[in-house]
Amino acid sequence: MMPGYSRIQLWQYITALLLVFLLAWHFAMRIPWIRDVTSFIDTLSPSKVYEDVGGLSGILALLLAYTALFHGLNGLRGILYEWRQGEGWRRLVNALVVVLFVVFAGLATYTVVGITEPSEVTG
Amino acid sequence: MGLRDRVRFLRNMPGWRASFNPWILRIPNNPERVAFVLHRITGIGLILVLFLHIFVTGTPARAGWEEWIAEIERARGFSPTTIYFFIFAGMAIFHGLNGIRLLLVEFLGWGVGRPEKPKPPYISATMKAPQRTLLYIVFALWIILWMIAGYIIFW
Repeated sequence: MMPGYSRIQLWQYITALLLVFLLAWHFAMRIPWIRDVTSFIDTLSPSKVYEDVGGLSGILALLLAYTALFHGLNGLRGILYEWRQGEGWRRLVNALVVVLFVVFAGLATYTVVGITEPSEVTG
Repeated sequence: MGLRDRVRFLRNMPGWRASFNPWILRIPNNPERVAFVLHRITGIGLILVLFLHIFVTGTPARAGWEEWIAEIERARGFSPTTIYFFIFAGMAIFHGLNGIRLLLVEFLGWGVGRPEKPKPPYISATMKAPQRTLLYIVFALWIILWMIAGYIIFW
């Protein structure tokens, strides 16, 4: 790669490949017979959700959130660049993308870190 | 009006319409363009859904499990929530499958065909290459997997 060239499109491909596996796992967790429940909505019961975000699964869930946010926001950035050009627009779009990433990555982190084990009554 | 005339009169920057209108180039037999527009629409949809998804899945941490249970009980059966999941699944499945195709075609250069001398009727080598078959496989798999997802979500 030549110096001074952006590698962001390479990262777009890397995150795309990662998302294929992470989303396949995320969707598989919503299949009732894999989770040993009777319906899709039952895979969202507190005990199952807690299983999804505890331990290694929590790390995978966070990796999924960060990867999806990077891939999605970078894609949105590309679309906005095509829509309108100019230095001011470029700065505005970059700032917007960074702010959105920080806000939603923070929310995702809080979702995983801030979750408590469901009690017998709720679980 | 011939193909050349129609291309000549296309505006240099058609603006946001180019992202949503698969037929803006008016080239017959152009499923790649349809895939491009669908990829873009599903991409924009998915980033909006991702924001909502992150916010909603934060409910147990933010408001407690009781609120979460109330939400999932409201979502049972044929509800706005399950319809949302069905649309989300459709967008994600298409975007993912077409994304795999793009990784193969754009990133690895697979199935794009070899350059050849232009001869009438001037059909690009890429349009006859395996990537075209792969595109039809993507469309077919998308419909099949989306139907399976619908069965799982509404069952």
